[in-house]
Amino acid sequence: MKERGFTSGSLSQASSLLGLDRSRLASTFMLLKEKGILEVSESVTKRPRLTERGKEALARGLPEEMLVELLGEKGEVGLAELPAILGREASVAVGQARRKGLVAVEGGRVKLLIPKEEAMRRASVLRKALEECSEGKFPAKELYEEAKSRGLVEETEERELLVRVTRDLEEVMREARVEVSRLTSAMLRSGSWRQYVFRSYDVTAEPPLVLPARAHFLAEFIEQLRDVFKEMGFREVRGSVVELELFNFDLLFQAQDHPAREIHDSLWVKGEPADLSEYGELVERVAEIHERSWKYKWDPKVAARLVLRSQTTAVSARMLITRPKPPMRIFTIGRVYRRDAVDATHLPEFHQLDGIEGYPGYTFRELLGTLKDVFERLGLEVKFKPAYFPFTEPSVEGYVKLPSGRWLELFGAGLFRPEVLEMAGVDYPVGAWGFGIERLAAATYGIADIRVLYTSDVDFIRKFRARR
Amino acid sequence: MPVLRFRPWRLEALTGLGLAELRETLFRLKCETEEAEGFVEVEINADRPDMFIGEGLARAVRGLLGEEGWRAPETERSGLRIIVEEVPTRPYIVGAVIYGVNIDSEDYLAELIQFQEKLHEGLGRRRKKAAIGFHDLSKLPSKEIRYTIASVEREFLPLGERRRARVREVLEGTEKGALYGGIARLGDMHPIIEAGGEIIAVPPVLNSDITKIEVGTRDMFVDVTATSLETASVILDIIVSNLVERGGHVGKVEISGVEYPLLEEKIMRVRKEEVLGPIGIELPLEETSKILRRMRYNVEPVGEELLVRVPPFRVDVFKPIDLAEDIAIYIGYEDLGPERPVRLYALRGSHDRLSSLARRVRSLLIGLGFTEIMQLSLTSPALLEALGLKELAVEVLNPVQVEYSVLRPNIVSTMLKALSEASHAAKPVKVFEIGPVAYRAGKVVDEEHLAMAIMDEEVSYEHIQAPLYSLLKAIGAEFSVRSSASSLTINGRTAEVLVKGMPVGFLGEVKPEVLSSVGLEYPVAVAELNLSFLSSLLS
Repeated sequence: MKERGFTSGSLSQASSLLGLDRSRLASTFMLLKEKGILEVSESVTKRPRLTERGKEALARGLPEEMLVELLGEKGEVGLAELPAILGREASVAVGQARRKGLVAVEGGRVKLLIPKEEAMRRASVLRKALEECSEGKFPAKELYEEAKSRGLVEETEERELLVRVTRDLEEVMREARVEVSRLTSAMLRSGSWRQYVFRSYDVTAEPPLVLPARAHFLAEFIEQLRDVFKEMGFREVRGSVVELELFNFDLLFQAQDHPAREIHDSLWVKGEPADLSEYGELVERVAEIHERSWKYKWDPKVAARLVLRSQTTAVSARMLITRPKPPMRIFTIGRVYRRDAVDATHLPEFHQLDGIEGYPGYTFRELLGTLKDVFERLGLEVKFKPAYFPFTEPSVEGYVKLPSGRWLELFGAGLFRPEVLEMAGVDYPVGAWGFGIERLAAATYGIADIRVLYTSDVDFIRKFRARR
Repeated sequence: MPVLRFRPWRLEALTGLGLAELRETLFRLKCETEEAEGFVEVEINADRPDMFIGEGLARAVRGLLGEEGWRAPETERSGLRIIVEEVPTRPYIVGAVIYGVNIDSEDYLAELIQFQEKLHEGLGRRRKKAAIGFHDLSKLPSKEIRYTIASVEREFLPLGERRRARVREVLEGTEKGALYGGIARLGDMHPIIEAGGEIIAVPPVLNSDITKIEVGTRDMFVDVTATSLETASVILDIIVSNLVERGGHVGKVEISGVEYPLLEEKIMRVRKEEVLGPIGIELPLEETSKILRRMRYNVEPVGEELLVRVPPFRVDVFKPIDLAEDIAIYIGYEDLGPERPVRLYALRGSHDRLSSLARRVRSLLIGLGFTEIMQLSLTSPALLEALGLKELAVEVLNPVQVEYSVLRPNIVSTMLKALSEASHAAKPVKVFEIGPVAYRAGKVVDEEHLAMAIMDEEVSYEHIQAPLYSLLKAIGAEFSVRSSASSLTINGRTAEVLVKGMPVGFLGEVKPEVLSSVGLEYPVAVAELNLSFLSSLLS
């Protein structure tokens, strides 16, 4: 319609213009009407139509014409003879011819009243009207009425659909779409997507199961801790998991004969002790302070043994001997190893976070302030209790309140003892703390069995729902 | 942390407090209490052995209630003398008499034994460094006591026995002998303490029955043998100062010209700032000395300073900071008030290079469809044996479980084991891990590694190669690869990864024999990178 410029007209006009079958077009129009694109109305046209009798009269002549023709040949004819000559129209012929003043009946005989040519002209006026009717035209009113009353014509009604386009067809074209299930690259490239609409889905139906590739939830927890400490101004450092006893114990003021250093608690590495020669001066200071404080013979061979570090405080100890320039804040996160059998609450290795901070004038209350801030940033309330560790004084043990309301004993902290600072050569107060990450992570995630953190069940990790 | 059991009536009588108040007061002294089967169990920090018996615990509690200072006990000469001969394995002995201990109940006797055992554990280093003998003074055969080393064939009447036995039998045939018999033995000789020709103790193993203490014992002789004279003397001071709290007095014992117990107070002269500054509080001088007196120190102000006399039983006090801790404990940690160290918040924080690289790698690998797993770095020797990696293993000297007795030399080893346990997981299984490894290369080396693996119905070299290349490019590593060989991966399908010409890792398809040795029924392709080294190369 748009291309052929159709804006309004009848169905017939549209049919010929568009070259489409009328009946299909009619139903299409009704559809378009429903969509508000077209207005469709119906027109009724009245037309005359010849009856069978009229058609016969047009072909053979009217009965009165036939009567005039007969009388022109014979002068006069007896009434009784007429049906034999004119058939069943005889009486009609006589009646009409008399009414029109063409003939008269006298003494049972019919004769012309006027000359034949004139009578024929008058009689044929109606036939001319019938001709017009056969062409669908209305003749003069009195003739049409006469033909109708004589049953020669009848009136018919012709119905026709009238169509008018009411919307911009360009716009309609943009909207009108065929339904498809998928959009393809080919559709996009050809632009054919314009013809389509997308089939509706049951958007509430269950999809197939897909699992995300993701970070391990414990690693995510550790990353969160790293960010908290960085935000607070801490510098991150790392150390080795295989460590000298010197840093794991001796520098932390743990006497070599102390039960905590016994074989029951830590894991030692099989093989030869390491070489301490690179720590010459440090070793001398450690020996002197241990012997002075703990009253025993300090043995460098013990300090040279390799242990799987039992605390990340070993990394802090290594940082201390670099004598970091104050003010300083340093933290480390790494694995530590203990001589524990695997069960729901123990692992032979786990992660620890250790932090140190200090400057000349640093106080124990400031240490508590830092710790309170750390755990507040993790959304945890914290509680302090006096404690004992060989390398700190004052020492404090920290509890955090879990979302469940339970208090979890989590961290140890304190100011490094003067002996530790003296061994390391640090001349300002240093606060230190350490805590195990797995226990806190498990408690925060609502995991009862700590072994779950090291599961080999990949789907468990992929499906893991964090309860934070 | 040592846990000690007390009868509630003892503590109530000694402190005048009900159990609930007692519990609260003890908490302020770093002690946690629990009630169990007619006992109060008190967790006491290892640095306060002076509180390992009711009298000592009560002395600290009464300080918080307002009792101040400490009064040295009255002493007299006991007439006892210990002759010390050369005992090479355990050279030192000290001793003292306490009159009027008056063991009046089984409950007190049990506490005494517990006190002795806990001192053995801590200060005595499980008797290796020092051991204690308790004797009923009235049963001592002689006032002249000899500490010497004697033949293990000598006989004595072991504690709790009716029959005399050779020292050797006790050392070799009893539980105590098995535990402590090797500490001071020297071939066929062992230290003994004798009086009047009778062995009264075989330290550090067992006493003789003849001087046994029991309910009814009034006065006691205590000996401490040790490898350090100072330790021996300190332990003796702790014992004497607690036993004498029962209302008695001390009898001196002469040993090599010195009279024991020493009961010497440590004198410390401190400025107020030295004990308040580290805590971060300010108090008047008088308040400071009152607090210290309530923590049972004797304190006198000397001008602007404090003269603090530390009771001999306080083995944990060496420096002003130790006094500072006692002040903080007296005030209560919660009441001190945490304070933000404002100066430290001006510092700019930073992440470690390697940790930052690990974080970037993690995020990229997740983007490449890999899920992170975490496995212990301790594993079983059998796994490394099966993978042909045993030569590299760093072994633990004293493992608890053989399954966790070696460190993994690479992550792929424990990853293959994890995959074998995850064979039911939705395929393809694409995993990675970042973590520590350690191996022997002459000396012990430990590094942070990354491993990644793909397990599926079918897996090829390309499946691991493509994401690995993608990863390396994304972290800006200019890398190359060359054909290589490994005990884990198929020949011709194994490559070494080099960055700046240095090997940083490998990739390949795992050998079917390796897969079946760890019980894997799906093909696996792996890659491993030394992140520690890679991080240093990327700088």
